[in-house]
Amino acid sequence: MTTTVRQKFNKEYINPVGKSMPRIDGRGIVTGQIKYAFDVNFPNMLVGKMIRSPHAHAKIISIDTSKAEALPGVRAVITAKDTSNIKFGSNEYFFPHTVDQMALESEKVRYIGDEIGAVAAVDEETALKALELIDVQYEVLPSVVDPLEAMKPGAPSIHESLNNIAVILPVNFGNPERALKEADYIREDFFYAPAAHMAALEPHVCVGQWETFSNKVTLWASSQAPFKCREALAKTLKMDLNDVRVIKMAVGGGFGGKLEMLPMDFSACLLSKKAGGLPVKICYSREEEFLASRRKHGMHYRIKSGVKKDGTLVAITGEVIADGGAYCSYGPTVIAAAIMRIFMLYKIQHFRVTGYRVYTNTPISGAMRGFGGVQAGFAIESHMDMLAEGIGMDPVEFRLKNITTPNMVTINKMVLTTNGLKECIDKAITSAQWNKKHGKQKHLSRGIGIGIAADVMGSKMYKSHESAGSIVKVEEDGSVYLFTGAADTGQGSNTALSQIACQELGVSYSRIKCKSGDTEITPFDTGSFASRVTFISGNATVLAARDAKKQILEVVAQELKLAIDDFDIIGEEVINKKTKAHVMTFDKALELAYSFNYGQQIIGRGSYNPKTTPIDFRTGEGNVSGSYGFEAQIAEVEVNKENGEVKILKLWDAHDIGKAINPQSAEGQIEGSLAMGLGYTFMENLHFDKKGRPANGNFANYRLPRSIGTPPMETIMVETNDPEGPFGAKGMGEAALLPTAAAIANAIYDAVGIRIKELPITPEKIIKALKEKEDQEKNKI
Amino acid sequence: MSKLIINKREYNVDLKGHETLLEVLRDNLSLTGTKTACEESECGTCTVIINGKAILSCITLASAVEGEEVTTIEGLANGDELHPIQHTFIDCGAVQCGFCIPGMIMSSKALLDQNPEPTQEEIEYALDGNICRCAGYLKIFDAVKEAGKMMKHDHHR
Repeated sequence: MTTTVRQKFNKEYINPVGKSMPRIDGRGIVTGQIKYAFDVNFPNMLVGKMIRSPHAHAKIISIDTSKAEALPGVRAVITAKDTSNIKFGSNEYFFPHTVDQMALESEKVRYIGDEIGAVAAVDEETALKALELIDVQYEVLPSVVDPLEAMKPGAPSIHESLNNIAVILPVNFGNPERALKEADYIREDFFYAPAAHMAALEPHVCVGQWETFSNKVTLWASSQAPFKCREALAKTLKMDLNDVRVIKMAVGGGFGGKLEMLPMDFSACLLSKKAGGLPVKICYSREEEFLASRRKHGMHYRIKSGVKKDGTLVAITGEVIADGGAYCSYGPTVIAAAIMRIFMLYKIQHFRVTGYRVYTNTPISGAMRGFGGVQAGFAIESHMDMLAEGIGMDPVEFRLKNITTPNMVTINKMVLTTNGLKECIDKAITSAQWNKKHGKQKHLSRGIGIGIAADVMGSKMYKSHESAGSIVKVEEDGSVYLFTGAADTGQGSNTALSQIACQELGVSYSRIKCKSGDTEITPFDTGSFASRVTFISGNATVLAARDAKKQILEVVAQELKLAIDDFDIIGEEVINKKTKAHVMTFDKALELAYSFNYGQQIIGRGSYNPKTTPIDFRTGEGNVSGSYGFEAQIAEVEVNKENGEVKILKLWDAHDIGKAINPQSAEGQIEGSLAMGLGYTFMENLHFDKKGRPANGNFANYRLPRSIGTPPMETIMVETNDPEGPFGAKGMGEAALLPTAAAIANAIYDAVGIRIKELPITPEKIIKALKEKEDQEKNKI
Repeated sequence: MSKLIINKREYNVDLKGHETLLEVLRDNLSLTGTKTACEESECGTCTVIINGKAILSCITLASAVEGEEVTTIEGLANGDELHPIQHTFIDCGAVQCGFCIPGMIMSSKALLDQNPEPTQEEIEYALDGNICRCAGYLKIFDAVKEAGKMMKHDHHR
């Protein structure tokens, strides 16, 4: 009991890759000592609040802040006139016209909650009072909340774009019309996957401080992408990158919601400048979090496909209409991902799906864990089961007939190298006893269903490169620092990257400390999204550790008058590679390196940018990822026909993750994804009132999975050892969320013969569908 | 001046009367280990222990707990020595972003202090007020069970 974690695990700390090392920040977390942006406090710190639009759509006629400014305790008020009116957005590189949001809007507001200014005061009470004293004159405009309405001619025009369609994304390959004519069975289905919210427990929070003597600004942030945040701050504040420091604190969950600079981040900085350099903290309430952060796109998915009798999938066509909300954010690329993921899964030659991202006067849709793939996964994987049924084929057999294989190039030029999809399916069905159960438990109202998914490790979707940098610094006493730009948002990347650094350097994990995501200290990293960190930042870390090791071995080689290639460091020892003989300890080698004859500082650097080809959005072609991850998921359910409740008996997830750097952590990612998938399947549905305000924007009404009823989950790691991955690893933070809803919907169909095409799956929908089925069967008689 | 007993230490705090315990802990006493994610009693993130019971500090007036024994996450470890629950949360991989963890650990402690061998059902019930968005609960259940075993063992020793 008295052992510390470090002592307890010490022996196992050598060769850490592939072992469940304890979280590097574990003690900080369990003692409450680790600091989130939420916990950053300074003397004389001011409280900032955003001035928000009460209207869904309106022209700003005038803003009078004089009364608020005169209120005792108010230190600064800012509006658009204090800014340079520079727009920012997230798809600037590929879709420049979608850069559509101002740090503070000056002419128009486009949703209830839209930011037009901010106040800073000595305390929250004064700041809230100041908000009431801001006098804004609006000319209210007609608004539109439903994307299908917004697309109709004559609908209120939210931005400049025609019919409120911000982006049309046509993805065409082959000749689907001709191919469909050759199909033995064709069906068309409509699915709807609603908006949802990331609902990270830590709300958006930041502290901004302007250094008036140097004109530098620091932002303590809860961010998944501190360098992207810095870029947007520098752009909108018209500063150089090295004038802006973003310090990522411990992050209390992100899930896509903390990828971008928000007006609050900009405002905290500018308010501090106006307040003479006093730090300003802005912390969202839960209500603001639902209103004015980011959310998942609600998607209408129409899909029509044809198959041959033997199960060959010949063509897919369809249409995706996504509710984008008031601004574009990451929307265009989310739509692309919602369409193109299918190429990683199924060998398909004829394809035409067009995506529409539509503006509405509602909160802004952005990237949420799964990046469009969750909505698409529900639609496509449900549809695939329906196709299989149409030709009387087992859903697993149907998938095995059509799935992608290792070492193939997809129709849109994605290069799939290692591909464990078949192994995932095989292992999942074996473990779940598919053949014994599928179609055979209807008498118990029990059923089993499958869904498959694939994911990228990065995507080059926000700039021309997707680089990550790492520095490994070895101190004189043998302790090691890893500096990485990657943002640990709770997934444990600091731990995994530290394991990777120690493994490559050849030392024990107990030697390392990790500093991540501080734009003034750590190298650049694109950010934590697209399941990219283990793969891309991991590769940068391997290179940095290798460089540091080379610097140490150079000294050893000189000292022993041998070639550097003769040596390696493994398990804390310098060894002779040829003879495998022990040469000296790591500590001894380091002592040599730092001794006066050599006197070298050991500072290794690594930079990695995957050799990929960005998607050409005119053709849909591109190889976006350096490697691809795969999985198969199975759900077993029992449906209560009386009350419509669905009980999950068990979930299985077999996952090609290349190599588990930290098996426990990898399992945690899968279990967490499954829980989020369960939430989206059964309860999460962020919906809006007639004016576009969230109708359930709090934890009382937006229901999340809780501990009661958590089903058993079995995770099966499939290790394909990708040659491009660090120690063979792939990314895996998102994929397990993609097929959950479909696997469950398919299981429900297997159990009671009803097909739910609109999420969430509620008892009411089950009862209604059962009733309809019963009526249909009666009519047949 | 009101006298608050937090983690067996006495604090004299000038209360106006309307402050919640959460505000006093975080803002007046700089005990920022206790978090909140909703400030309206829905998420469990602000859970502390008062007289042996798991209580939400966001809806508890500080003035109402004057003289009562309040334990926060900062009061669990004994110097460098972690409490068994803190150990097992690390060992079982129950922590991800960590924001729910202080509340989760306090709810677990209130349960295990009463019942070191809880059933699966009892654990789920005791933690149902604590939302975790990252981890999906299974590893948290493991951590609670393991901690219970350690606590029972320590007790008998």
